[in-house]
Amino acid sequence: MTFSPTFRSDAHQVARVWAFTMRIFMISDFFILTAVVQPIIFASIAFFLFQVGGDAAGEQTLLFAALGTGMMGVWSTTLFGGGGAIAWQRWEHTLELLVAAPRRYDLTLLGQTLATTTFGFYSMIATLAWGVLLFGMPLDANWPLVLPLSLLAAVIGLGIMGMLLATTFVLYRHANALSNLLEYPVWIATGMLVPLALLPGWLGPISWVLLPTWAVEAIRGAAIGAEPPWLAIAMCLILAVVYYVIARRVLVYVIDKARRDATLNLA
Amino acid sequence: MTTPSIPSSPDTPAIEALDLVRTYRTHLGVIRRRSIEVEAVRGISFEVRPGELFGLLGPNGAGKTTTIKMLVTLLLPTAGSARVMGYDVVRDTTEVRKRIGYVFGGEGGLYDRISGLDNLRFFAELYGVEPAAQRPRIDAMLDLVGLAGREREKVEGYSRGMRQRLHIARGLLHDPPVLFLDEPSLGLDPVGARELRRTIADLVAAGKTVLMTTHYMFEADALCERIAVINGGKIVAAGTGSDLKAVIANRTIVEIETYGVTAEAVDRLRADPDVIAVNTEDQDQSQILLIQSERGTEITQRLIQHLGDTRIGKISAREPTLEDAYVHLIASTGGDDGNGAARAAAVA
Repeated sequence: MTFSPTFRSDAHQVARVWAFTMRIFMISDFFILTAVVQPIIFASIAFFLFQVGGDAAGEQTLLFAALGTGMMGVWSTTLFGGGGAIAWQRWEHTLELLVAAPRRYDLTLLGQTLATTTFGFYSMIATLAWGVLLFGMPLDANWPLVLPLSLLAAVIGLGIMGMLLATTFVLYRHANALSNLLEYPVWIATGMLVPLALLPGWLGPISWVLLPTWAVEAIRGAAIGAEPPWLAIAMCLILAVVYYVIARRVLVYVIDKARRDATLNLA
Repeated sequence: MTTPSIPSSPDTPAIEALDLVRTYRTHLGVIRRRSIEVEAVRGISFEVRPGELFGLLGPNGAGKTTTIKMLVTLLLPTAGSARVMGYDVVRDTTEVRKRIGYVFGGEGGLYDRISGLDNLRFFAELYGVEPAAQRPRIDAMLDLVGLAGREREKVEGYSRGMRQRLHIARGLLHDPPVLFLDEPSLGLDPVGARELRRTIADLVAAGKTVLMTTHYMFEADALCERIAVINGGKIVAAGTGSDLKAVIANRTIVEIETYGVTAEAVDRLRADPDVIAVNTEDQDQSQILLIQSERGTEITQRLIQHLGDTRIGKISAREPTLEDAYVHLIASTGGDDGNGAARAAAVA
């Protein structure tokens, strides 16, 4: 299989920005603290959910809860890190330089939000590790070969969702408040905290268009599902494409508006 | 997709602005909000030749940064047009961006927690430098700006001067023919500013076209081949440093150091028929009065009489400098209005 020079060049740009942003996160006190403290809290939530579930639910319920709570951490990182990416660039006074660079800004932003989500998956791994170490949680995946694919689809999907959030949040001065508002409802509506079957029926369509629903399903399906989660993986990727198309259009509008209104560097 | 408008040729100006206008809309009040339109740039036109160092000189709020941001594609003009190397700054943004470097003064724009080298690696990618060429290019830029050997240190430990030179290295990574420097010496100490001026002079010697904004007269005079003085969103004078000085060439400047001079005394000076202009500069304890008169007119004794009981320090007479010409131009075109407020008009 051969790729065009443009595609290779674009992929190289996304990869370099991803690696650079990961590096920035690795030395950020804020992100390190979040990554260390949050998984302990989430692992505890998973354990107590398991206790409430009791013996009838079986041992896999603990893994079900741990994966869900791990995804809560991934979502929080996507929401605050990815969603705040453009606002953060404004604050650092790098936004103008990134926009005025000859390479495509949407790919730069994509590399940054993918890195944010990748870093968020540390929260998932740490939650599982704490579950095993502190609460003796069993860690057996039913479909170990599918699990990496599920994780990859989830990272790509949530990374692109972070890009969509970044482009829409930047339209509003008080995007931080919007971020706080979205954190908990998504935990519930996407089945991270409790199974979707327990939610009211009218929430179903909302859950289906939210990419984290399928990301959680893909990972849980590979870990404890009776069948490989091909549908969930496919939905993750399909929604990722849809989100990316929307994000690009919104980004073109946002940058154009900022050039018109002289708001590119307003923090 | 639009086709780039005009390919550059040797005869094409590196930068051309034609009747550039930029207005901002802003709001006043909380409950009864009013929309205000501020005219930051009001019909600016100029051309910069390839290989030339052109200066935009003016006080804060004159419209320098707004002009430069339109030229580097970060702001859309409200009216008028501009081209860089023959490419339109509104329609051909990608082509323009490939051919320009943009450097601004101040603290931001760098990733402080990582090294200067990593900053340059990141921007080399975004500026489209081929992967194999990135390291040699970065090394060459570090040499050019005098940061070789310090590149592995974190940027947070750099001095203001080092940061500014790193910014210039960043702006030159993709070897652009045109460089925009927006107040590059802002906040630098004298030694850092002098090193920076040397770097800029080297760039022009190497064939780069540079458009620089500054509000330091001596900097513009020392570096720029041609200078446009901008005030109130308009170019009020343009030419070489000598051309600008010629505006007041037939005058003499009398400098009088005073302590506690009153507004009434200054008014008496201004009312003297042989006095052309009076400007005051406040210093720690004293005020320096700069009084312009026709060359050959001896008015010093009269000036002392006008000052009455005011305590006077040193008095001297001298030839006009570029700074005097600049002060004259700014004062005679409405003064320094700080942020364009005088140009604001309530529209709703």
